Amino acid sequence: MLNEERIRLMTRMAAYEEHEGKKDIAISGYFRGDYISFQLLKSAIYATVGFALAVAMYVLYNMETFLEEFYKMDIVEFLKDILFKYCLVISIYLVISYFVYSYRYHKAKRHVKQYNQLLRALMQMINIGRRGRKQ
Amino acid sequence: MEALLMVKQQLTQFYTRFEAYIVPVLKFLAMLFALLFIGSSVGFMTKLKNPAIILILSLLCSFLPTNVIVLAAGFVIVAHMYALSLECAVVILFIFVIMYALYFRFTPGDAIAVLLTPVCFAMHIPYVMPLAMGFVGNPISCISVGCGTAVYYILHYISENQDALSSGSSGELDVEGMLGGFKTVIDGILKNDLMIAMIVTFAATIIVVYLIRRLKINYSWQIALGAGMVVCFIVLIVSSSVLDADVGIGGAMVSLLISSLIVLVLQFFIFNVDYSRAEYVQFEDDEYYYYVKALPKITPDAPVSRTRRRTPSRDEMDFDDEDDY
Repeated sequence: MLNEERIRLMTRMAAYEEHEGKKDIAISGYFRGDYISFQLLKSAIYATVGFALAVAMYVLYNMETFLEEFYKMDIVEFLKDILFKYCLVISIYLVISYFVYSYRYHKAKRHVKQYNQLLRALMQMINIGRRGRKQ
Repeated sequence: MEALLMVKQQLTQFYTRFEAYIVPVLKFLAMLFALLFIGSSVGFMTKLKNPAIILILSLLCSFLPTNVIVLAAGFVIVAHMYALSLECAVVILFIFVIMYALYFRFTPGDAIAVLLTPVCFAMHIPYVMPLAMGFVGNPISCISVGCGTAVYYILHYISENQDALSSGSSGELDVEGMLGGFKTVIDGILKNDLMIAMIVTFAATIIVVYLIRRLKINYSWQIALGAGMVVCFIVLIVSSSVLDADVGIGGAMVSLLISSLIVLVLQFFIFNVDYSRAEYVQFEDDEYYYYVKALPKITPDAPVSRTRRRTPSRDEMDFDDEDDY
């Protein structure tokens, strides 16, 4: 016999698993610290690539000056300046990333908690059905 | 009003029934308009301006994720730039990679905003985007709308200065000319005060609209739209005067009014309606295999004067759909 309530519950859960659930369940498989560290590492790589391209553009823009004054300029001072700017950019980027990914982790955990509640309700229904069939 | 509510309901029913076809058609149209805009403003590579290629690319993109569509549009722009000059192509490629790295980490879901912002600019209704994203997005949507704005002004600058930017066809490698070319392109793109003023204005508008529409007060959406318009106008005037950017205030006001009307219509027919998706799911238990097609139930709306705000029950809130950051 088809149990309509159970089908409704399973449909709702299957629809969640199909869409947002995929991402949420994957995220909730990590510890909070692990997930955020991994995302911060990815953000740092993206920020580094972006910064490297910005520096490349700066060098292209000032190429004539660089070529003319290459022997006069203080390379160490120039590199220090670039490093300072890199640290500044990456710090800002990582702080924003931290807040964004903390929020995403928190949201995914909450959704998975709701999903687990539904899962427990489903298990109860299944157990009741099994007991009924045995009797 | 009754007639409008009926239209709204029919639209919802139509979308629910034909969602599988409507989404690809919308993606196709978005890419088609984007490619036509790109072709008309910076169409330097004649092969890519061919209507057959534009149609094939748009058709292909109708089945791809929106992020891939944005990437494809980016490649088309870089190809056109390459036909104009190598310097332009390199600078644009660098800027696109920087923007992609910035935007993709935070707002991968807002890809369509990046694509539609330049299209709205081309249609002279750019203010639709910040107002609309304030309703459907979140404060981080500033990044995607900002990227779209930057793309529009970059293309606009290049189409206006194509003679100055094009490299000669002598075939010889002119290093000095190339370095000068890099400088001109970067200067033109990054020292565009109007672009910066618009990005600041759009960011402020998105944040204000988002914050007000989230308030738990009556008519929050309408108040958000009004406040968004006022803030947009004020920030535009202030930022353009601070940055000394040339903004036509009269034109901006008319465009803002038209954009607000469009957003009002979108708000009534699209943003405020629950276009719940039809679900096709498969699962099994001890006894059966289930192949379920779940269609959202659509009940007629109550007359507006009697509508009351109510808090949904716990059952209705399963997997609450908060804004995604």
